[in-house]
Parts: sequence; structure tokens; C-alpha cells
Amino acid sequence: MSVPAPSGYHVASDKPFLVGLGVLGGSYLLIIAAMVLADLVFLNYGDKPVLGNELVSHGKYAGEYEEGVPIAVELGRAYHFRAGKNEIGLRASGQRITRNGLFKTDASEVVLLPREPGVPITASLQPEARVAGIVIINKVVNGVTHRLARITMDVPHRLLWKEFIRLSGTGLPGWSGVHEITDTDKNVITIAAPSDTVPVTLQLSKPNPLVQALRSRDIRFSIKLSLISCTLTTLLSLWVAVPIGYMMSRFEFRGKPVIDTLLDIPIVLPPLVVGLSLLILFRYMPEWLSDTVVYKWPAVVLAQFMVACAFAVRTMRVTFDQIPQRFEQVALTLGCNRRQAFWRVIMPQARGGLLAAGTLAWARALGEFGPILVFAGATRQKTEVLPTSAFLELQAGRTDGMLAVSLIMIAAAVVVFIIARTLGMKRIFA
Amino acid sequence: MISLENIALRQGSFELSGLSLELAAGEYGVLMGRSGCGKTTLLEAICGLRNIAGGRIILGGRDVSQLPPAERGVGYVPQDRALFPTMPVREQLAFALVLRSLDQAEIAGRVDELAELLGITGLLDRTPDKLSGGEAQRVALGRALAHAPAVLCLDEPLAALDEELHGEMCRLLERVHRETGVTILHITHSPSEAKRLAGCHFHLADGKVLCDE
Repeated sequence: MSVPAPSGYHVASDKPFLVGLGVLGGSYLLIIAAMVLADLVFLNYGDKPVLGNELVSHGKYAGEYEEGVPIAVELGRAYHFRAGKNEIGLRASGQRITRNGLFKTDASEVVLLPREPGVPITASLQPEARVAGIVIINKVVNGVTHRLARITMDVPHRLLWKEFIRLSGTGLPGWSGVHEITDTDKNVITIAAPSDTVPVTLQLSKPNPLVQALRSRDIRFSIKLSLISCTLTTLLSLWVAVPIGYMMSRFEFRGKPVIDTLLDIPIVLPPLVVGLSLLILFRYMPEWLSDTVVYKWPAVVLAQFMVACAFAVRTMRVTFDQIPQRFEQVALTLGCNRRQAFWRVIMPQARGGLLAAGTLAWARALGEFGPILVFAGATRQKTEVLPTSAFLELQAGRTDGMLAVSLIMIAAAVVVFIIARTLGMKRIFA
Repeated sequence: MISLENIALRQGSFELSGLSLELAAGEYGVLMGRSGCGKTTLLEAICGLRNIAGGRIILGGRDVSQLPPAERGVGYVPQDRALFPTMPVREQLAFALVLRSLDQAEIAGRVDELAELLGITGLLDRTPDKLSGGEAQRVALGRALAHAPAVLCLDEPLAALDEELHGEMCRLLERVHRETGVTILHITHSPSEAKRLAGCHFHLADGKVLCDE
């Protein structure tokens, strides 16, 4: 006799549970995507004009300025206007300008229009720099003659040494394009002169931050150092993580819990402390060793390695834990010793884990900042890696430069992940 | 032949001692016993995968108690078969032979011979994830037999097979036994299986091996 199905019993729908999972997971994914996208969108990819001094002075739209602040401008000149949160726009010769950007005046006065009376002035108005003259000079440095072009502008430009400038509309080959600024003065910038012929017409603009970053010798160096040090760190980490992971996974010995805890220390320790500890440790090292490491590129690798390796060890241990010991046992009965069993049977199965550990170590190393700052310093063209570049850009007040460096890091990380994934896939589909 | 003399095994709180067992060369022995009584542990000890706390293990007239598993001349088929997931069947069968540095032609010949014996000639280029339970069992058997061991240890080789395959595998084991003359020690829970295959019945109970022929 079969048991009758109980009637009147209903389970609640699975829908709320599944929707809950989707919403929670989905919103996190959305934030990740939005975060990266925001960086990409925020960056201004266009060139920026070279601008002179700010013409708007601080104050409030009150008293005599209740109806707007008049600003004297030069007839026929281009100005860059940016409305603040308290302005509705700019009145220039009967027209109202509300869009931010360059505009040309055909009056000698413009008026800033407030959103309401009594609020502080928040707009910005700057003249676009015009080239007043170009002189070719020869400068002798250490016996080498450099041919330089001194470009004088009619307003102070606030460009910096080592920044890049785009010349256009020159009509001369060599002049048009992006040039590095080798020297600056209040109204003057100097670049290496492409030829002795001086262009008659010339427009200046600041190339977008990504071009600036990719052209900069400092940042080129930091990209190179980052890629090399991360790869070195990854190889070192795997070299250490594989044996430790295997040992922790396969053998029982006294003091194992202590070692287990020790292995996690670099993960739990605040990154700055890792750097500081390394710095202090090297005070006790022989002088030749600390001289070659501290504040030099090996310090970068060591600082990255300390943290990255801990993650690699974790990953490798889990990898080996997931491979049953049975495989080795069978291999042993078939004629392997432990070494042969490890290389012939276990490592081929651990390839996916090895790839994961390597990718993780690489990504950790790429983002490492605190320990490097403390242990290797932030010397340009010596110990500067990408996070250091981002930090230096921020310190110099160039947020767009920092953003450009961040984008380079995102690109590097994405490329490495794609490579790792493709290699991983190959293994699965082979 | 397999001869265990006063074997003592210890694993945590689990302990077995004074185990003795005698299986003549070329015999088919079946070891039965309740779950958790130490059958697998005993088999692992014979293969050298577990240290014994006392006694001697003699395989084919050699005291192998202190030898590493590789030098004992045993073939081992664990319960879960443990086929190497990254290798195609051909490599699994050749594994023990490659380790012994045989030349290519010899290895190929032996692999074909084994594949013929076990009826897996068509599977040689497959990886284990594309094998059915019965096929995987045959491959595991072939891998363990490749280096022509004197002793074959089978840990519940037919446990996970359906009725039909079960009979087929029994016939295969009989054939392997007949054609290779290998001494087989086979762990099982099934009395019918034991009855069918075994020349020699052993029973592990209360820490003693009873031989009921």
C-alpha cells in the first residue's frame, strides 16, 4: 500500500528568495560596473585650452552687484567660462551664455548673472592664452647644443615643467603635435624646437590627461617598473607558495597551527605596518644588503612580495586541499616517489589553482602602495610604481592625472585577467 | 603470495593488532567485514600507504614491511578509482611503464595488450571525465596491472556498479585473474560477489582475520 500524498500542504513560492539573491548580487555587480565606468566617463578626453588668470574675484551677489557682476574683457578675445552653482549664466553683448566653455566676445564687458541675490560668487572666467611670439634660442648644456623654442604668451599660463602641450595650426611639419615643456616662466614656455623655421600662426592646447600620463617619462618608468616588479613578485610568490601550500595541505606536524597563523600575518597586518616592519628589519641586515634593497627597486619587489605571497599561499593551499590524497597514493603504488607523484600527478591538476594564485598575486602587487611608500620611498624614475604615481599626481593637485594613472592600472589589471582567463579556459576545453 | 604476520595498525584511537593472513600465490582472496572495521586500512598497509606499528608484510616471499609503495610490486585500485583527471586513458595505462623507463614500442605494446584484455581499446584517447562507471573501473584496473604486479589490491571495485555491469565486471575479474595469474585481494560487502569470485574467504571481525575456506 502506498502512502497517500498529504493534501493541504503547500510550500511558499521560491520567488522572493530568488529575487532577493538577484537583487543583492545584482546591485553589487552594478556598483562594480558603475565604478569603473564612472572613471572612464569622468576623464576629459578632449584637449583643454591654455588659460590665463582668473578674472572673477571673490564676493557675494549683494549690494551694487545684486543684478550681476560686471567684468571688463578684451574685445574679440576668447574667454573660458564655467558657471558655478550660484550662476545662471553670463550676459555678453545682449546674448546670454549658459554653456561652459570658450566663447568669443564682441563687447568690452560681460556680466555674471546670479541665481538669486545675496549668494557667493562661484563662477570662473579666464582668458585663453594667445601666442605673442616665438624665439629660437640655442642653449649649451654640458657641451651639447640644444635648439629651443621660447613661446611667449600674452597672459600667465600656469603650465608646469614636464607637462605636455599640443601645438596646432602651425602649417609646419614637426611643430604640430605634442611637445614636452622643458622650462617655464610666468608668460613663457620652452620646448625643443623641431626646426629653425618659426610658424606664423599657432594655437596651444593642453592634451588630455591620458596623453599627458602616457607621454610622461616618469609615468612611463612607473608603468615599466610596475609591470616588471609585479611579474617578479608573482614568480617569487608562486615559487614559495607552491611548496608551502603543499606542505600545509598534506603534512601534519607539531606547531602547524602556529605556522598557519604566521602565514596569515601579512594579510591581517595593516599594509603600512608591513612596510615599516621591513624597514626596521633591514636596519639589522648587513650594510651592503640594506644598501642594495632599501629605497631601491628591490624594496618595491620585496614589499609587494610580502603581501602578495600570503594570498598565493592561501590559494595554493586550498587548491591542494581540493585534490584528494588518493591520487598520490595510487601514483606511489605505481612506482613514483613523492617528488614524481607531485610533479606528474598533482601539479597538472593544480594548474588552475596556480593560475588563480598567480593572478591574485599579480593584482595584489599592482595595487600595493603603503608598504612601498614606507620601504622603497616614492622617488621618481627610481622606485615609482603606478600607485605611487597616482599618489604623487594627487599630491600635486592633478586629480585628472591621478585618474589617468588609475585608468592605466585598470587596463593593466584587465589585460592580465583576460590572459589568465583565456589560459584557464584553454585548459578546460583542451 | 600475501602473508601478513601479526600486523598492528594504529590510526588515532582506532587500533588493530595481531592480524595474520595467508594467501597463496595466484589465489583470489576476498576480504569481508563490517564498515569501519579496518579493511581499507589493512589494504593500504599492504600497499605501503600506511605505516604498520608492528608485524611483517611478506609479498611474494619478500619482506616488504619497510619498503616504499613503489618497490612493493602491488597494484592498487582504490574505492573511488582515482583516475588521474588530466591524463587520457592511454597515459594512465602507460604511467607505471614510463616511470620504469621502458622504450616507446614496449610501452605501446603493453598498453594495447592491456586495453585488449580489459576491452577498452576504443577508449584510449578519452579523458576520465568522459568515461562511464564501468569503463573507469576497467581503466583503473588496467593502470594497476600495467607493471605486472605480483599482487593486486582491490577496494570494493564493484560497489558502485549496476546489476548488469556487476556481472560483466565479475566475469572480467575472473578473466584477468585467469590470464595474468596475479594474486588478488578483493574487499567487498557483497556475499554473492565473494561466493562467485573467491577461492579464499577472509572475514575481518573483532580485530581478527578469520579464514573460512
